Amino acid sequence: MFSRDVTLIDIERLDRVTAKAVETFQMDEDTFRAFYDRTARPVWVYLARITGDRSLADDLLQESYYRFLRAERRFTSDSHRCNYLYRIATNLAHDRHRRSRHVINVAVPAEHEPTALVDNQDVAADAVRRTDLGRAMAQLKPRERELLWLAYAHGSSHEEIAESLGLRKASIKMLLFRARRRLAALLGGGTRAKGTSA
Amino acid sequence: MATSRDLRAGDHVASCAICTDVLAVAAAMRADSDAQWQHANIPSSGQVWWRAEMRARQEAIRKASRPITIAQGVAALLALALTGTAGWFAWTWLRDQAPPLGFASVSAQALTSPLALASVVALGALVVMAPVALYLVLSDE
Repeated sequence: MFSRDVTLIDIERLDRVTAKAVETFQMDEDTFRAFYDRTARPVWVYLARITGDRSLADDLLQESYYRFLRAERRFTSDSHRCNYLYRIATNLAHDRHRRSRHVINVAVPAEHEPTALVDNQDVAADAVRRTDLGRAMAQLKPRERELLWLAYAHGSSHEEIAESLGLRKASIKMLLFRARRRLAALLGGGTRAKGTSA
Repeated sequence: MATSRDLRAGDHVASCAICTDVLAVAAAMRADSDAQWQHANIPSSGQVWWRAEMRARQEAIRKASRPITIAQGVAALLALALTGTAGWFAWTWLRDQAPPLGFASVSAQALTSPLALASVVALGALVVMAPVALYLVLSDE
């Protein structure tokens, strides 16, 4: 309602303002591209698994990198940078989960997924295994999914997991133990440790 | 070829519930991760950078435009307050001039009541501001 004609001075001022906005990014374009090429795929896979929704993972991936670029933080190492990125991704997934409270979709293989496997039986077995894991993961809490994924799929250390999820390092071991036990029971491959020692 | 160390490790796993769980979970997660990895269709780095750049620019424009809108809003409120004040003074002057202008038949008490007075002032402000507001709205088009 209160708009007015835009003048050349306005355009010049807005150009300066927008250029400044990009200058505040965490890194320049070349550095970002290298970082992205290194980290995007594992982050996407992580998001796809903890949310159970590939299209949601696409959205959250873009949002995660945008927030990472706008973060006003200093990083001591590349590992620190990666952990922070995972933390952003995890928080975004949590926010979305709280807002939607939707049932986690089972990540069944897409109809026209390309596969390098030659044997059709291997393809079917692979699909069944992934479906079983998807169903089992859907029954876990979001925190449990994140812990397990970072530990066993991504190979993160307890310290890295603590940094990524915003938890205390001392609590990771017990949380991981419980989550692992639960998933193993759901997968039906683990044995209950009742009375048996390690 | 299985070494004796492998065989001992295998024996341990078979008898250890914790290690059995670890193996089961780790194997399933790794296999799933590898499969997801192959089929992940992620945008290119250039695409992501470009989108981030555009979004940052748009947010900066919105932020820069905010003071202008606030200033215009404050100016409009001030104009309204001034109109109201002018209307109040005009009304008190008119009321003082009431007998010569033939307002004696009107109930002076009713017109001097706060509610009636506020209504008259608001009406006066509306009469003045309405054309201005219309101009501002229609001038966008």
